[in-house]
Amino acid sequence: MVANRGEIALRIIRAIQELGHVAVAIYETPDSAALHIRVADEAIWIGDGPRRDYLNIAKIIKAAKDHGVDCIHPGYGFLAENPDFAKACEEAGIIFIGPPHDVISKLGDKVTARKIMAEAGIPMVPGTENLSQGEAGLREALEFAARYKYPVMLKATAGGGGRGIRLIETDAQLKEQLPMARSEAKAAFNNDNVYLEKVVLKPKHVEVQIIADNFGNTVHLGTRDCSIQRRNQKLVEIAPSMIKDKKLLDQICDTAVRAAKASNYFNAGTVEFLVDKDYNFYFMEINTRVQVEHTVTEMVSGIDIVRTQIKLALGRKLSFAQDDIRLRGHAIEMRINAEDPQNDFMPEGGKTVSVYRSPGGYGVRLDGFVYQGFTIPEVYDSLLVKLTVFGFTWNETVDRLRRCLRNYTITGPKTTIPFYLNLVNDPDFQRGDFDTSYLETHPDLFNYKDDPSEVNKLARLIAEIHFKKENKYAI
Amino acid sequence: MDRIVQGMHSGEVLKRVREAKGYFITNTARDLSQSDFKNRILLHTDLLAADPRERSGYFSLEITGGASVHVDILRKQVDPFLKLKLLREKMPNTMFQTLCRGVNLFGYRPYPQNVIRLTVREFAKYVDVWRVFDFLNHVPNMQAVFEEVQKAGKLLEPSICFSTGPQHTDEYYVKKVGEILEVTGQDISLCIKNHGGLGTPKRIGELVRAIKDKFPELVVHYHGHNTDGNDIGRITAAVVNGANIVDAADHAFTGYFGPPPILSVIQTLKDYGYTAVGVDESAVIETSEVLRGQRQYYEYFESQFKGFLPTVQIHKLPGGAMGSSFEQAVKGKFLNKMPEILHEELPKVQQELGNWWSVTPGSQILWTTAVSNVQGGERYGNCSGDLKNLLLGKYGPFPFYCPEDWIYEKAFGPDWRKIVEEQGGIEKIEDIDIDKERRVLQDRLGYEPTEQQLVTYLQHPNDAVEFFKFEEKFGKVYVLPPSIVFKRGGFALGETLQFVDHNGKDHIIEIGPAQKNEDGATSIYLNVDHYQRVFSMAAETKDEGVAREVAMSKKEIQDLAKVGDVRAPFGANVCEISVAEGQDVAAGDKLVVLEAMKMQTPLLAAVAGKVARIHAKVGDALKPGGKIIELACEVEPLQCAKK
Repeated sequence: MVANRGEIALRIIRAIQELGHVAVAIYETPDSAALHIRVADEAIWIGDGPRRDYLNIAKIIKAAKDHGVDCIHPGYGFLAENPDFAKACEEAGIIFIGPPHDVISKLGDKVTARKIMAEAGIPMVPGTENLSQGEAGLREALEFAARYKYPVMLKATAGGGGRGIRLIETDAQLKEQLPMARSEAKAAFNNDNVYLEKVVLKPKHVEVQIIADNFGNTVHLGTRDCSIQRRNQKLVEIAPSMIKDKKLLDQICDTAVRAAKASNYFNAGTVEFLVDKDYNFYFMEINTRVQVEHTVTEMVSGIDIVRTQIKLALGRKLSFAQDDIRLRGHAIEMRINAEDPQNDFMPEGGKTVSVYRSPGGYGVRLDGFVYQGFTIPEVYDSLLVKLTVFGFTWNETVDRLRRCLRNYTITGPKTTIPFYLNLVNDPDFQRGDFDTSYLETHPDLFNYKDDPSEVNKLARLIAEIHFKKENKYAI
Repeated sequence: MDRIVQGMHSGEVLKRVREAKGYFITNTARDLSQSDFKNRILLHTDLLAADPRERSGYFSLEITGGASVHVDILRKQVDPFLKLKLLREKMPNTMFQTLCRGVNLFGYRPYPQNVIRLTVREFAKYVDVWRVFDFLNHVPNMQAVFEEVQKAGKLLEPSICFSTGPQHTDEYYVKKVGEILEVTGQDISLCIKNHGGLGTPKRIGELVRAIKDKFPELVVHYHGHNTDGNDIGRITAAVVNGANIVDAADHAFTGYFGPPPILSVIQTLKDYGYTAVGVDESAVIETSEVLRGQRQYYEYFESQFKGFLPTVQIHKLPGGAMGSSFEQAVKGKFLNKMPEILHEELPKVQQELGNWWSVTPGSQILWTTAVSNVQGGERYGNCSGDLKNLLLGKYGPFPFYCPEDWIYEKAFGPDWRKIVEEQGGIEKIEDIDIDKERRVLQDRLGYEPTEQQLVTYLQHPNDAVEFFKFEEKFGKVYVLPPSIVFKRGGFALGETLQFVDHNGKDHIIEIGPAQKNEDGATSIYLNVDHYQRVFSMAAETKDEGVAREVAMSKKEIQDLAKVGDVRAPFGANVCEISVAEGQDVAAGDKLVVLEAMKMQTPLLAAVAGKVARIHAKVGDALKPGGKIIELACEVEPLQCAKK
């Protein structure tokens, strides 16, 4: 069973079906017309939602048991990193495709995770433990800030995916924001623990895909760079990292494997690092799930990560060793979202995709779930399709990406495509030179016209002449 | 060596004309388009014909001016300056000619002096020959244009408008030519502007001879129309008697009220021993071969009356106004009354109003008055604002005699003498603040306008802004052929349309299905350069506010007006609302000004009352009976009591 929706549900269903198993989908009412339930072998309606039924452990476990489900893949988001869900699966005798609940639990708690990594000697951004409650906590925070200098990050211990993070630049801000951060964390994650971290300015976001079996083998599939983000949400991901120092990348990968081993990691996961301007790298966190951007790693490694996840969960041994893994070429993934980049990426949910034409050809991979005529539900995220392209060289990959973006036609909602078209034409991007400040330092990317084509304007008049049976402007 | 080419000094041009053994031909493409195709011949078509026309060796190509500047932006969505620029690129040697209505420029009402001068300066960058006229042959009305054209070093061609009747003697016209030459000097070409195609060949021959006898060195350019089918005869007589240049048009498009075929002129005069200087006959023929295939797309704009109209000698409407008159008759549903209007009322009105020249804007005044006299029941019962201005002498003095007193009384009421005394005479139009206008335009467009955009705006402000906004939305549509622009009844499913955009890029559009959606809107699918695109078309609402159709008789509308329910007496656009809600008005006060057939007419209160509600707004297109204003008045109960 796939306990998820959207493009990742489809991705997992495909792997299940390729392995010769029966794929069971679940869905809430707003997803009644979604593609994942049409492609699955079975689909179970679990409630009106929105979102709360995809988050309802009891309902999902019941549906799985009723349908004799053997394994559950949680995808990303929703219950993917909820240890209670993994635990409930285990208790119900269903295999959870992912790490055991206690590993999820340990790594999900940022402070515990930092403790484990510190003991294993993994380099880390200086940070505090969970801040004490009340005045004591504020004192600890101010001391930390005095020692490591502003700016610092105030983070919710239970946060993730870019949520529950705030940048603090002065003592006054710290005093003001600390109680707010606590109450927000309480509301969002039901856990009011917060901690401080030194801010690494303009870092690159580099992460390592790791896979571990239950027989003591842990391998990595190389690096990814996810530096191009807006408000800490990734937009563009590439594999491998464009850092030229191969030794450094090897060092980062080895560290990731050590980090995974230190936490007794099982199944696929991602170890995230920050790399500063001087190429020091710091451990950030381990994501205990399949990542949105796993596709780029699949493209350069040739390894089907989701299929591997399932096989490992079923108790198989890794069929390859670290030395068997060869990375070839470059891959770039862009998240084509139904959003208006010119309006602060405002979601365009509720709109109907009136025309959908996608590119294809060599080196092009699409992981999407929209189709012509599909109305995008307003209640879920705005990701329509992930466009992943592969090329032997970086330049070839960028050229292919540009071609694909140009050949994409999505009408109805506004999308991030025109913004990405500017991005692929940006010289810094073309050189592979970007860090997490990229969007702030490249405001020109947002300058594009909604409908720049002369022929489309003329076509509009022709459509009117056709529809009204005469040219009202000429009569 | 005889050939006159664009860029020559006007003095050199005139010298060659005087010395040439033979006559020259102007291709009046613009006048043909205006007279027989309601001005709709597209730039696309003129560009197709550009190459053979360039090789034909004309004296000039009349391709702008008259009503065409307005129609360019209003109905053809082409920038009148860009049109000339693109044609110039394809026709580097041919002089371009315009027709300018003197103080009225390319419009219907007098413009301020500084607007006139700016307009002439901008157009003179593309236009080599400037034909200028005034419908009252009142020379001062043309003076500003004369000066600017001569300042720009372009060839000035002042006109004497021609008509027939006891006052229209050789003596009168020769004297008029003298008046013009006093102002302009000898270095001009004089146009005999026979916009109606009036008189016989004999009459025209005598007139040309009389002028040439008095001014032997003067270059004379005869302009006529073939409305009665006899303009070849008049042209022949003109040339035989000394005219140097004549007007004609490409035969593939000649028809009813425009100029006659160029080739027929050449063939006829050849037999009389006169050569068309510089003209390549085979290129003339080739032009029509190119044009012939295009004519089918313009059929909708051809006259509702097919064939020649020799009764023009009675009604005297100019060829350029024939098409639009028939169009108005069709739209106003009075086509059946055309014989009465043309053959009885119009000649009568002409005599009553002074037997001057029926040409813009005078022809519109005559025509509107005749229509109103026939349609409205009471003759001169509802005088248009423009007729009143004419009676007040605002356009200039009557050349022969003034209309009789009873017409003044109809127009202005019993106190007419006082009104004429107080308000009569040519109104001095103050210069406007052009920089301020530029700022206003910039505000309306949201960007800084070019000088040419400003000039276009100064001619027809609202229509110009709408055109500029249209281009933002629909692009440069002048690239589309008439087969697309004038398509009626929709395209066929799967039909492919090909065209080249203004950047020279080829495009192909395939017509896809149309799908009606639940909300009433229709999705039109087109494959645009092989990409599918969908265009959503909102459902057309039958009930569009005040524009809805109201079937109401003239009598009903008049009766309603007497109880304060003011409605449009005829189909018209609202161009001014003169009162505000809550305002007290007396009977006879101006409520709104309506514009129909290019003429403005004030609508007066039939009763006193308070303005209770204003239904219409400026710019609304009203059908007859469309609601305009409600007056709360005390007449209503009285009327009821009488019943």
